[in-house]
Amino acid sequence: MAYVMECKHLWKIYEQHLFAVKDVSMHIEKGEIKLIFGPSGSGKSTLLRCLAMLTPSDKGEIFLGDQCLTKPGVDLNKARARIGFVFQHIYLFRHLTALGNVELALRYVLKMPKEKAREQALQSLREVKMEEWAHHYPAQLSGGQQQRVGIARALARNPDIILLDEPTSALDPELIGEVIDTLRDLAKEGTTMLIVSHEMSFAREVADEMMFYDEGTIVETGPPEHFFNSPKSERAKKFMTRLIKRTHRE
Amino acid sequence: MLGGVTTTLAISIISLLLGLIIGLPLAFIRSYEKNFGFLVDIFEKIFRGIPELVLMLMFYFGVGLFFPFPFGNAFFTVVFVLGLRSAANQSQIFRGAIRGVGEEQMVAGTSLGFSKWHAIVRIMIPQVFVFSTPGLGSEYALLVKDSSYAFVLGIPEIMKNADLVRANTYDFVTPYLAAALLYILLTFPIAAYFDTWGSKRKKKLGL
Amino acid sequence: MFEFIAEYIPTIIDGLILTIEVTLFGIFAGLGLGTLLAIGDKYGGKVVSSIIRIYVEFFRGSPILIQLFISQYALPTLTHIPINPYITGFAVFALNSAAYQKGYIKGAMETVFEDQMMAGLSTGMSNWQTIRHVILPQTFRIMIPAWSNEFCSLTKSTAVLGLIGILDLTGAGKTMAGQTYRVLETWIVIAVIYLAWITLFTKIADIIYEKKKIPGIELSA
Repeated sequence: MAYVMECKHLWKIYEQHLFAVKDVSMHIEKGEIKLIFGPSGSGKSTLLRCLAMLTPSDKGEIFLGDQCLTKPGVDLNKARARIGFVFQHIYLFRHLTALGNVELALRYVLKMPKEKAREQALQSLREVKMEEWAHHYPAQLSGGQQQRVGIARALARNPDIILLDEPTSALDPELIGEVIDTLRDLAKEGTTMLIVSHEMSFAREVADEMMFYDEGTIVETGPPEHFFNSPKSERAKKFMTRLIKRTHRE
Repeated sequence: MLGGVTTTLAISIISLLLGLIIGLPLAFIRSYEKNFGFLVDIFEKIFRGIPELVLMLMFYFGVGLFFPFPFGNAFFTVVFVLGLRSAANQSQIFRGAIRGVGEEQMVAGTSLGFSKWHAIVRIMIPQVFVFSTPGLGSEYALLVKDSSYAFVLGIPEIMKNADLVRANTYDFVTPYLAAALLYILLTFPIAAYFDTWGSKRKKKLGL
Repeated sequence: MFEFIAEYIPTIIDGLILTIEVTLFGIFAGLGLGTLLAIGDKYGGKVVSSIIRIYVEFFRGSPILIQLFISQYALPTLTHIPINPYITGFAVFALNSAAYQKGYIKGAMETVFEDQMMAGLSTGMSNWQTIRHVILPQTFRIMIPAWSNEFCSLTKSTAVLGLIGILDLTGAGKTMAGQTYRVLETWIVIAVIYLAWITLFTKIADIIYEKKKIPGIELSA
């Protein structure tokens, strides 16, 4: 049986010398939660956007289920409809209410009738505990609330997988908790998730596997305990020590 | 026909300066003095709401009958109307720039002991100019184009001269196309220059 | 003092109607065409962008009077096809307005654009769907103040229509002034009518802007 998502020998290079994605191969199975972490600028976000077919990759193959997405002639829109994406800077549609944001794709991509789309959108908002705010505009919501709506928007189409690009990095510290709680709930329900994040305690709790990403490649993989106790590579060791030092200082 | 260029430029530049002299104070009045603010508003609304051509016809043919001294002169009337119109526009441009510069600059100024109006002159105005350059550039371009209204009052600027050439040569094509080209040459480079000068200056000052 | 206008009311109304027609046609046709130009400029590739640029430079860099004259006199001479001055009037104002509006639209689009585009695509919508449901709604709402300015400019510039033989509101004024010799009063009346029309329209635009405003974004002038 095919993986939910897989990439083989993926490359993405910017301007001839910025290797954001260097011959990366990885896969994720149904129900798995994998977390990518590493130094800033290593290309993690780029990898995620390539997988979501939001940024074109230069070489390599990407599979969603058993469909190859990188072949020419593939209907990218249909493919993206099966992938949910949550952005670091949220990017809610500012001219629509929370409900409108979640409904939009249901109505125009999945072509659901108005009432059904509305009902399903409300359900998604319920799952992220934002139902009360359904008729508020993004500008009237806090960062954490906005991101939860962003998650609902990604969830509403019941995608095969959800990709999250540093979902909490742009939020004020006191707002991070509510988003993490939401993600924890999703994890409990068995949602397949690929997350880029440095929320280490969350990772420890929820991730099945973690991948250390540096300078365009996956340097090391393993279950969370592996990284917290005995990372193998030098770079991972250094990164973890710095991280733990910082958390201890806080 | 090139002689018309001087006249066109004269009309545009004088109107621009007139607009500046009147518009800048108006902008500050509107921003800082609540009482007279609404008068400025009415002034702006009038010039926003009445075509320049109508005003020119009104002053030249109408008021000019009673006061041939200034308003019987076509050049004066044109500059008068365009200058005031420009003042209304520039008042808006400067107001936006004042907002862009920010309240804090005034507060900083007065905290140092400057009086309100002294602070405006020494602190606000220099910064306001840097912010206003794109608006002023397009106002200049607008004035160059609107100077063509002077055609109706018979002033020998670009438009009128082009028409005279046409009348003499029965060539309906070249004079008009040439005139269009002249106008474009007058508006485009200078407006673009204003823009780039403005952004360079902004960058330098970290605005 | 103003009773003399009584017999000219029909002329005035005819002129006003024509002015309104040209203005509304110009501003809305300009909106449609301007949107296409803005999208074309953003998406169309180098050749299309250059053509659009030349178009915009011409219409924004020259006075409308010249544009009218060229359309009304130069073009027919070159092509040997006579053009009805009414068609010239409507067409030139629409083309002219499109050139200006393209600038506002593109500016508003760019305030909105990059991230909202990616967000739209991430939900599975196509480029076109995202433009239609996410980008344009925001663009148009942000644009309203600039658009109502364009409306004022447009209306005021229609005053020159008389020079190509069309009887608009200003033309009606000229007729009245010429026939009654009550020049000042005529122009005061005409001026007031323009003022009323423009103020009314901009007031409506302001109200719409307040109601449809997106909380949190404004077009940075």
